[in-house]
Amino acid sequence: MKKIIVCFTVLFAAIALVACGSEPTDKITIDFWHMAPVGTTAYTPTKAIINAFNESQDTYYVKGTGFSFWDYWDKINIAVSSRTAPDLGLSTLDDVESRAEAGVLYDISDFLVDDPDGLELDQFYTAQMEFATYDGDLYALPFTATVRVLYYNLDMFEEVGLTEADVPTTWSELLAVAKQLDVVNGDGEIQRLGFDPSYGNATYHGWLWEAGLDFFDANGDPTLNTQGHIDVLQWMKDFNSEFTRAQLVAFGDANTLLGINPFAGERVAMMVETDGLYEIIKNAGADFNFGVTTIPVPDDGGIRVNWGSGFSIELYDNGDGDDASKQGAWEFLKYLMSYDVQKEMAEVNGWIMAHKRAMSDLATELDDPILARMLVEVEYARDKVYIPYAPSWHGNDWQPYYNNFLTGEMTATEALAAARANYLEKQENYNATH
Amino acid sequence: MAKTITVRQMKKKENLAGHLFAFPWLFGLIVLGIFPIFMSLYISFTNYDMISPMEWIGFENYRILLTNDSLFWKSLGNTVYHVAIAVPLSIFVGLFLAFLLNNRVKGMSVYRTLFYLPNVVSVVAMTLLWMWLFQPNFGLVNALLDPIYDLLGVEPLGWYLDQDLSKFTLILMGLWTSGGSMVIYLAQMQDIPTTLYESAEIDGAGWWHKMIHITLPLMTPSIYFNFIMGLIGGFQVFTMAYIMTNGGPSRSSYYYAYYLFDKMMADNAMGMASAMAWILLVIVLVVTVLALKLNKFVFYMGEDS
Repeated sequence: MKKIIVCFTVLFAAIALVACGSEPTDKITIDFWHMAPVGTTAYTPTKAIINAFNESQDTYYVKGTGFSFWDYWDKINIAVSSRTAPDLGLSTLDDVESRAEAGVLYDISDFLVDDPDGLELDQFYTAQMEFATYDGDLYALPFTATVRVLYYNLDMFEEVGLTEADVPTTWSELLAVAKQLDVVNGDGEIQRLGFDPSYGNATYHGWLWEAGLDFFDANGDPTLNTQGHIDVLQWMKDFNSEFTRAQLVAFGDANTLLGINPFAGERVAMMVETDGLYEIIKNAGADFNFGVTTIPVPDDGGIRVNWGSGFSIELYDNGDGDDASKQGAWEFLKYLMSYDVQKEMAEVNGWIMAHKRAMSDLATELDDPILARMLVEVEYARDKVYIPYAPSWHGNDWQPYYNNFLTGEMTATEALAAARANYLEKQENYNATH
Repeated sequence: MAKTITVRQMKKKENLAGHLFAFPWLFGLIVLGIFPIFMSLYISFTNYDMISPMEWIGFENYRILLTNDSLFWKSLGNTVYHVAIAVPLSIFVGLFLAFLLNNRVKGMSVYRTLFYLPNVVSVVAMTLLWMWLFQPNFGLVNALLDPIYDLLGVEPLGWYLDQDLSKFTLILMGLWTSGGSMVIYLAQMQDIPTTLYESAEIDGAGWWHKMIHITLPLMTPSIYFNFIMGLIGGFQVFTMAYIMTNGGPSRSSYYYAYYLFDKMMADNAMGMASAMAWILLVIVLVVTVLALKLNKFVFYMGEDS
């Protein structure tokens, strides 16, 4: 028994020593949470980026902790709410406002007063910077810049006698080209779909924006009750109306069961997707020719815009008045947002980073026309607004009505009226408690 | 000189030792159990959104949920439907399996293990498996039922993708784990003295009479136990719907616990979610107290009736 206790004590001491060994006691430790946990391909390069900073430092030591994308959001949200957040971490850009209002973020504008050249602010997209700003002050920085584009399969285009010059730019062209690309076998089974406005990352709010409409007005009140809203929703469904519901469901189910993106699986000729699909196609070693372009817009007065969500990077104020860590976090933030590191991060994670020059130089160096084309579209990206009474307005709150419409349970008018009533009820209830 | 110790001192020492030994458990109960429970009660009277400081708003969350939240009633209705069908059905299936497996057939232990096996499969894995089986277009269930569809001239069932069938599909799927209650039934069934059956046989009782007059009455304690546990668990149904249907279609499988989860995770309305949790506690308590009234129909062997 005695031997067992001694054995455990030695083991415990060894683990404790190893754990302590990596953190220098003479430096101020800065906690940084990222999404490259041990075991992922991005882990080693991310660690190298952090190590390079640490080696350049006499005062600060950054301790990076990686969580998988799927775990990260619960971890950071709970840490922020319990005021145990890291000094520096990633979050979502579209709701920076809520955290800034709650007082859990440090005001980055304050740092810029003493250190005006600390960041190349002109290198970040204006639209993204607006989301990082609350009450005139900067509370976060855009870290990545997700973009949505139209992917088109050139091999399929060639097969039906189309060329890159035929890539659609308007909704009517999209319909005409898509119909040439549909393939149905003798049993009436869809083998290939030219395009579907509900597939991939194409969303109703994305199409609305192109038509100059939105879910909410400037005051955050739900709209959805105009003929324009009905027409756009109806257009989405009517796009493939020559097929029966059963044909479309069977095709969609087959895509789901295959477990691969329908465009990457060469089952759909054109699809709206994020830049993430490009990484998937590259990593899968796909051998078909494809390109990306602007998402087609309505024929009359269409607006060139795409839903461009992105990560923010934030300095968390846990209310403990730790000025040393706060300053260290600012130093590391400047490093992470610098040209070289942003470029390195883009290569490591396959993300489009927020730094414009870093990304355009990277596209030139890699001789990557797809990346270069996507970077053009980032200029036209717009994030979704934060609605306090319905933070998940595009997800949980909208999807049931949207699905009811697509499955034919509701007409466009009914679905939009029901969704609007739900938003109004949520708004009323939120106002009653705030 | 020998050190003396009074009984009082000894008792005190023993008390201290007892408390020390119980400390880890007491600590867990108070810090991890009682404190969060009462904290959630407090939060239910606030507008806590997980980031901003909480503000006291009295019974406003409860008022809103009960009088101005259509999804609250929809999700509660779905849950009551689930409990009302799933609980009796799982008791019936569990009993049926127990009757089947209470035989002296060769390899019976293998069958019992096989029926119990689904209980050791994680709910997530089980749900994903059944999603494939119930898939309307490609699933095995519809493939097997195809001749019947042809015979009746009807469209194949949409299962979890049909708003009229989604809840029932989840209930059917849940029956796969009836082996858990079966084990309890089987244990009690084998506890019934054989002398009762022998004397019944002498009196001329057949299989049916033995089951109705001996087996079932003597199994009421385990049926009752499974009934109460089923009621409590049924009101908390969540995982299967979360993975398989996302609460759909048309929120037909949007259960109470799912709505509570969304209130917290999607709407950041922790105060409202806490209020929902306390309303659920009251509902479960009331239903359980009503269910306890059925205790008079339960026959406990060895007790005076």
